[in-house]
Amino acid sequence: MVGPLEQAILALMIFVIMLGMGASLTPRDFTLALKRPYGLMIGVVSQYGFMPLIGFILASTLPVSDPIKIGILIMACMPGGTTSNIFTYFSKGNLALSVLMTVTSTVFGVILIPIVLVVYAGALDLDIPRENIIATLVLLLVPVAIGMVLRKFNSNVGAVTEFMGSMLAIFFILFLIVSWIPRNWEFLLTTTWATYFGSVVLGLFGFALGYGFSILLKLHPRNARTVALETGIQNGPLAIAIIAFTFAGTEAQAIMAVPVLYSLFIVITSTMVTLWFRRVNTANEQPLPNGLL
Amino acid sequence: MQDQERPWTAFYGPSVRKTIDAPQYRTIGDFISATADVYGDLPAFTACLPNGMNGTLTYRQADEMSDAMAVYLREVAGLNAGDRVAIQLPNGLSYPIAAMGIFKAGCVLVNINPLYTAEEMVKQFKDAEPKAIFIVDMFADKLAEAVKEFAIPTVIVTRVAEYLPAMPKAIVGLVQKYWDKTIHPITIPHIRLPDAVDAGRMSKKTLDKGLEAYRSMIDPDDVACLQYTGGTTGVSKGAMLTHTNILMNMEQTMELIPNLDKGKEVALTALPLYHIFAFTVNFLGFYSIGAHNILIPNPRPLSNLKRAFENYKITWMSGVNTLFNGLNGEVWFQDTPPKHLKFASAGGMALQSVVAERWEAVTGKSVLEGYGLTESSPVLTFNPFGKTRLNSIGVPLPSTDLKCVDEDGKDVPQGEPGELIAKGPQIMKGYWNKPEETAKTIQNGWLLTGDIGVMDEDGYFRVVDRKKDMILVSGFNVYPNEIEDVIAAHPGVEEVAVIGVPDGASGEAVKAFIVKRDETLNKDAVRAYCKEHLTAYKVPKTVEFREELPKSNVGKILRKDLRAEELSKAEG
Repeated sequence: MVGPLEQAILALMIFVIMLGMGASLTPRDFTLALKRPYGLMIGVVSQYGFMPLIGFILASTLPVSDPIKIGILIMACMPGGTTSNIFTYFSKGNLALSVLMTVTSTVFGVILIPIVLVVYAGALDLDIPRENIIATLVLLLVPVAIGMVLRKFNSNVGAVTEFMGSMLAIFFILFLIVSWIPRNWEFLLTTTWATYFGSVVLGLFGFALGYGFSILLKLHPRNARTVALETGIQNGPLAIAIIAFTFAGTEAQAIMAVPVLYSLFIVITSTMVTLWFRRVNTANEQPLPNGLL
Repeated sequence: MQDQERPWTAFYGPSVRKTIDAPQYRTIGDFISATADVYGDLPAFTACLPNGMNGTLTYRQADEMSDAMAVYLREVAGLNAGDRVAIQLPNGLSYPIAAMGIFKAGCVLVNINPLYTAEEMVKQFKDAEPKAIFIVDMFADKLAEAVKEFAIPTVIVTRVAEYLPAMPKAIVGLVQKYWDKTIHPITIPHIRLPDAVDAGRMSKKTLDKGLEAYRSMIDPDDVACLQYTGGTTGVSKGAMLTHTNILMNMEQTMELIPNLDKGKEVALTALPLYHIFAFTVNFLGFYSIGAHNILIPNPRPLSNLKRAFENYKITWMSGVNTLFNGLNGEVWFQDTPPKHLKFASAGGMALQSVVAERWEAVTGKSVLEGYGLTESSPVLTFNPFGKTRLNSIGVPLPSTDLKCVDEDGKDVPQGEPGELIAKGPQIMKGYWNKPEETAKTIQNGWLLTGDIGVMDEDGYFRVVDRKKDMILVSGFNVYPNEIEDVIAAHPGVEEVAVIGVPDGASGEAVKAFIVKRDETLNKDAVRAYCKEHLTAYKVPKTVEFREELPKSNVGKILRKDLRAEELSKAEG
């Protein structure tokens, strides 16, 4: 389903995307996150509390095979994707908050993802190569660090890298559509409805829970939109990379079905949610000049 | 005036000259070349875009390229000394090349607001009659409209990312063209700025005499800039600022800014360079001490400044009240204020005390307020470092006299309000083609500022308000600034403007326009708050909430626009 060449391209893409994320950061951003623990807390709770729980419920209730269950769990445990920042922008959300949540969930993911994965996989009696996942995540911090150093060393190289990284995140979806779909028609036609359902609903539940949670915390609608998108939109390329690097053979191919389907459908669902946000919420809203939260 | 009549000189620092007799250089062109020889390979200008992409020119590069530009203007475009050349550019690396090139060619620089409409451009063209114009590609379509009414023979087009390294330049170009769609095909004959520089370089090789020849044709008292201003009477007029005016004002102002390390300062220029304050102080003043000037093409939204603050160790910045107020409210700025900042300076409009206080609380550094007019190149007063007084515009610069006079031009007693009038080497030669306006504004060598001010016993001045903004409520003078200052201090208020509106009973009534910070704020709360802090007749009779207030391109709140709205409403 994903050949060696594609794997190499994927690895390169992930590398550049993470490099770009690193290039958008300075040590200041971390101080900023720590100074605003409220935003951090919401990000961590929605990203590593709600999403894995949704994944767990889907995996344990849907009639799917073990590899698909693993796929759903991994997808649910991913940090926020960089595309969430783009959708936040278009839904008139809080861009600074979105970037902050993406970054913190990625960095904290190194510790939290393996823990959450192991707990839920254990409950479902699934076998997860824990060490490999940790190794991959740690490895992914290397380009983030390189990105930060690049920017420090040369602000132009940093800015170009950041731009390339965000462009690649969009290009990644195109890559799937152009390269993967035509060669996997058969797979797409034979995949069960439950796999489709799980891949699509994961994001939708994420939007709903993130939004509900924010309303409960009485966040400004603008921030609520941001948290909703941030929660629902996961880092698809990262899931594919982790699976490609930690599983082998046919098992890897089967697990990968979920993040691939998720990535394809999240573009559509995010667009719909964004359009809805724009229509419903922004009409009579007071501007929010001040503050992250 | 004698020394004892300038009590404020006691507050100058020990190293500050009390008078400056003449500028160090004959012309601005001489100043630019001589300074470039001193600071050579240090970075002079960096254009920093919102995403952090940037390009830099060293002192030597800027000098060489502006030499070439001067030769282009004279030899290729065929301009003569004294010909006007317009610049209609946002901040960027093209600006210094164009401006310095114009001065070196002995031509007269005419700054034009890049956001002007074609109609506004035509008006200014017809008055200044420029023979050449520098314009950014984004606005070339307006020029195509404008030149139908007034033809300009030489058009030099540049881009925002000009002289950035190839990759960022290409990316910015593509984004502008296909994403922002801000670049349209250019339909009029033109030359690209880098091509003009190259043509100038070629032509320079064949020149038998050096560029000094251009400069020697002009006199220090010749006009260097036509700087347009709404001025004190409303009609747009070109203030004729001479080489001496500008060089002196630059020296006078820098004299009062202490603790500057030559060759080591990093200045943030978020104000547009076509504004006279940014032009004299940021552009030329900081060039004179070898500073690294970070130019921001567009400071709005304010998050556009984030990368500049992250990537450069800003030691000095200038701004207007609106900019400081905005930055005070940005979370990223509050959490990581610039560490290396020594101080900031404010001008252009009254600095509200609450804004100054918040700024000090956020950054730990003070904002020094200054005061001046386009007609005075522009700085007249400045707060001496360490002796800042809140709500004060500070003390007059060296060799500058300032006093308050009544309607008949007689000095008012110290402590009494009167119109501020000023005298000094920075006062303009007059208005271009408008001798009558000049005669109204400069009388017996004194510039009538149109501002009401008060001098305290130490010689510190305070501007009460614009003469024409004064509100007359049942015979009492009410100054909008005072009321705005009170309302701005209310935590629920983001921005405020106060004007006088026609009112049957009292002649005029006070009206406040407010942009809320806190959604729950209501009119009664505002009025109650005002009653606590102001005498009854000063309390706004009406309060109106707005989403935003009309502002000029430097962020100055435009009371006159609000007044015009109210008047048209009243007339039905």
